[in-house]
Amino acid sequence: MIPGMDDGQTGRAERGWCGEWIAAWDRFFFTPADPLPLALIRICTGLLLAWSSAVWLLDIDAFFGVEGWLAPHEVWRMNDQPWQWSLYFAAWSPTAMRVVAGVTLVAAILLTVGLATPLAAVTAAVGFISAANRAPLNVFGFDDTLGLLLLPLVIGPSGARLSIDGLLAAGLPGARVEGAPSVRANVALRLIQLHLCVVYFFSGCGKLLGASWWDGTALWGAVANGQYRTLDLTGLARHPLLTNALTLGTLFWEVAYPAIVWPRLTRRVALGMAVAVHLGIGVAMGMMEFGLAMITANLAFLSAPVIAASLAVVTGGRLESSSSGTSFRSSARTSPGMPPRQGTQAHP
Amino acid sequence: MTLPPATLRDPSVHRAPSHAWRLVVSLAIGGYLAAVVMPPLAGPPPASELAGAMMQPLRPLVGLLHLGHGYRFFAPNPGPGHSIRWTLVRADGVTLTGSIPDAVTDRPRLLYHRRFMVSEKIATLVPPPDAPADVRDAAKRDWGPLVRGVATNVLRTHGDGRLSLELVEHSLPAPDEVLAGAVEPDVVTPLGVYERRREVGR
Repeated sequence: MIPGMDDGQTGRAERGWCGEWIAAWDRFFFTPADPLPLALIRICTGLLLAWSSAVWLLDIDAFFGVEGWLAPHEVWRMNDQPWQWSLYFAAWSPTAMRVVAGVTLVAAILLTVGLATPLAAVTAAVGFISAANRAPLNVFGFDDTLGLLLLPLVIGPSGARLSIDGLLAAGLPGARVEGAPSVRANVALRLIQLHLCVVYFFSGCGKLLGASWWDGTALWGAVANGQYRTLDLTGLARHPLLTNALTLGTLFWEVAYPAIVWPRLTRRVALGMAVAVHLGIGVAMGMMEFGLAMITANLAFLSAPVIAASLAVVTGGRLESSSSGTSFRSSARTSPGMPPRQGTQAHP
Repeated sequence: MTLPPATLRDPSVHRAPSHAWRLVVSLAIGGYLAAVVMPPLAGPPPASELAGAMMQPLRPLVGLLHLGHGYRFFAPNPGPGHSIRWTLVRADGVTLTGSIPDAVTDRPRLLYHRRFMVSEKIATLVPPPDAPADVRDAAKRDWGPLVRGVATNVLRTHGDGRLSLELVEHSLPAPDEVLAGAVEPDVVTPLGVYERRREVGR
């Protein structure tokens, strides 16, 4: 056993109740984890942020300009100033605004491909927070979820796998084991997992205050709202019991999510429902970005072997996940007769 | 995702973090998690005084990391949608009309949602037109500056003139109303008449 690491059994009797809590915390946060899930989350988050940044740029004078939706001196009415900082408070000229938004867009693209990933992650997070804090009239759940994802990507080694950084590092003499398990990766994934549980818990508890979630009609309220609707589901008016079932199913899933997502036995139910609910919101209510961001956050609960197997199917390559982490080998990148790249071999 | 014990014994994979490192990181994790949990506990209403007090020392961290969210998606009940209808009589005599958001012109859909949030957030501050006068006057202190921003943006985009704004609460029909084909009319609340940078009438 590694000094300082706990195997969950040794010395349980002499540790006592508090000691067991400390050991459990230790195992939960400080067990090295494969960075593959974090890498996949990085790619999805990068794409979503790049898209969000492009949309900010489409009407940048309205979002961040002095004569836009919300003048800089009025932002305090919606934000907790002075704590909610933004680069756009200083970059108020048309050129400066575009530079900040453009740099954020470039950082998001670099984050997606995994080039200069640590710098890209920090820059993307700074640009994202700046935009969200400058335009509080224009943000919604999609932005909340992007923030949930970006901060852990700054913390963890999200560029260790599925990245240009990884490819470049593998070519360097004396390169470190590519995609090796890492405590930082585990901490980042744990933060996403816990934050997601907090989101669902409070969202579910908030719904418990509403009569329409108890009487089973809330889903009707969502589909009948013409401002959200992108898919006409008002035919549900003829099927009240189905509306009840969908409403109550959504409510119970959301409230129960923080409990049922951890046990292996119920995790598939929790994640399957998450995909169904968020894709449903995306398709029927036109909030596909929000739905995809929430599904991306749910990826934190997928194990590296499952992700590796899925990616292997998609790419036609061979993606190994083992105790060493995950190594990607595609036929296009492996030349016969060449020794294996350093860091791609599986560890016992 | 947690690795089997065999991996933990492989010294090439990682070094065990020191106790001091773990203590520091644990404190940081605790602080982060507190900043994640406290904002939705402290608001939106109803929220306890205790949660509000516990939130106070966390405000800098919550603001710094943009964590101040309530996460009350579609809660407590999905409500009606809102838009802001505008009519602009320009100085050259041309009359323009529009809506914020506009499902036809606001493309892509994310742009529509970013504009939709303007009318939705302002709508939370505007009382219905049949509310007592003192309630409406008090509320206007909150929504007035935000609506002036909307007016400024419309005038910047479409040219100077006399701009009328109305908040439209779109009817949320019950299932039987949809089946009967009889939907309640929308509720319209005047938000004022504006010229460049100022309100000139109700």
